[in-house]
Amino acid sequence: MIPVRCFTCGKPISTAWEEYKARREKGEDPKKILDDLNISRYCCRRMLLTHKEIIDELNPYQ
Amino acid sequence: MEIEFASLDDSLARFTLSGASTAFANAIRRAMIGEVPTLAIEDVRIYDNTSALFDEMLAHRLGLIPIKTDLATYTTQDKCSCGGAGCPGCTSTYTLSVEGPKTVTSSDLIPQDPNAAPVYENIPIVKLTKGQKLVIEARAILNTGRTHAKWQPTLVCGYKNYPVITVSDACDACGNCVDECPRDILEVKGKQVVVADGKLPECSLCRLCERACLASGIGDEPAIKISAEKDRFIFVVESDGSLPAKEIMNRALTYIREQADELEKQLGELSGDDRK
Repeated sequence: MIPVRCFTCGKPISTAWEEYKARREKGEDPKKILDDLNISRYCCRRMLLTHKEIIDELNPYQ
Repeated sequence: MEIEFASLDDSLARFTLSGASTAFANAIRRAMIGEVPTLAIEDVRIYDNTSALFDEMLAHRLGLIPIKTDLATYTTQDKCSCGGAGCPGCTSTYTLSVEGPKTVTSSDLIPQDPNAAPVYENIPIVKLTKGQKLVIEARAILNTGRTHAKWQPTLVCGYKNYPVITVSDACDACGNCVDECPRDILEVKGKQVVVADGKLPECSLCRLCERACLASGIGDEPAIKISAEKDRFIFVVESDGSLPAKEIMNRALTYIREQADELEKQLGELSGDDRK
C-alpha cells in the first residue's frame, strides 16, 4: 500500500494515489499529474513516482 | 517585534518576523513543530484482521492519519480530570468494520465525536479482497510532536533571514548573474542589474550571482553582494490539516510565553526576589 504520508516532510500524499495511478495508466506525463495534484516538493513527488503497489500480489497469501 | 503576513489560509502561512533574534525565531519554529498538541490514533484494538497487512502495520498507518483537532474540547491525558484513564475529554474513539472486496479508507473510520473526524476521507488503509475482514477499534489522544512525529501539526515549518541584495556602481550589466540565478530574481534594467519586483523574498542566499560576477572578470570584489538582515526572518508554516496554520502559531506563541513566565518565576524563587 502507498505510505500514508511523505517520509520526509509528512504531507499526506496517499490521498493523491488513486488519481495519480489512474491518470498515469492512461499514459499522462507524471510531471503534469503531480503538478495538477499540487505536490510540489521533490520529497513528496518521489513518494508517488517510485511507489510499486504489491498488495494484489500479497493478497492470495494470508 | 512585528509579524507581517504575506499569505495566510488554513493550510499555509507565510510571514516575516522582524525585530527578533535568531534564537527567538528558532524558538517559535520549535514550538510550532513540537509543542502544539494534535489528535492522533495511539491505541488500536484489533478484533479481526484477515488482510494481507500485519496488525502492527495497520496500527502504524492508522496513527499517521491526520485528525481534525478542536483544542477547546480536548486536553492532554496528563492534564485531564480522568487522570489519563481515557474519557471523552482526552480521547476520541473510532470504530472500523469492513468486509472485502473493498479498499478500506479513512472514511470507514467511524468517529464517536464527529468533530474529530480524519481530515481526509480518501486515505487508503488496506485493500481487502473477497472474504477478508477487518474489525478495529481505535483510540486517538492529544499529544505533542515532541513525543512522536504523528502528533506534529506542521509539515514544512522553517525560516530564513531576509535577504539584502546590493549592486554597486561597478556593475557593467553583463547579465551573467541574471542567467546564473536559479530563482530568476535578477533582471537587467538600463545599465544596471536590479532585483525584479517582489522577488526579493525568494532569494535563497546561494551567492551564485556573486560567483558569476567574479567570473566575468570584474576584479577582486563582485559588484553584486548578497547579505542577510540579522533580525528579520521569512517564515513558512504548512499545516497537515489537523489545525489551522493561524492556531498553530497562536498556540506556539502562548507556549513560549508560558515557558518564559515559568522561567522568570523559578529564577525569582532561586534568588529570593519575589517580584513575580
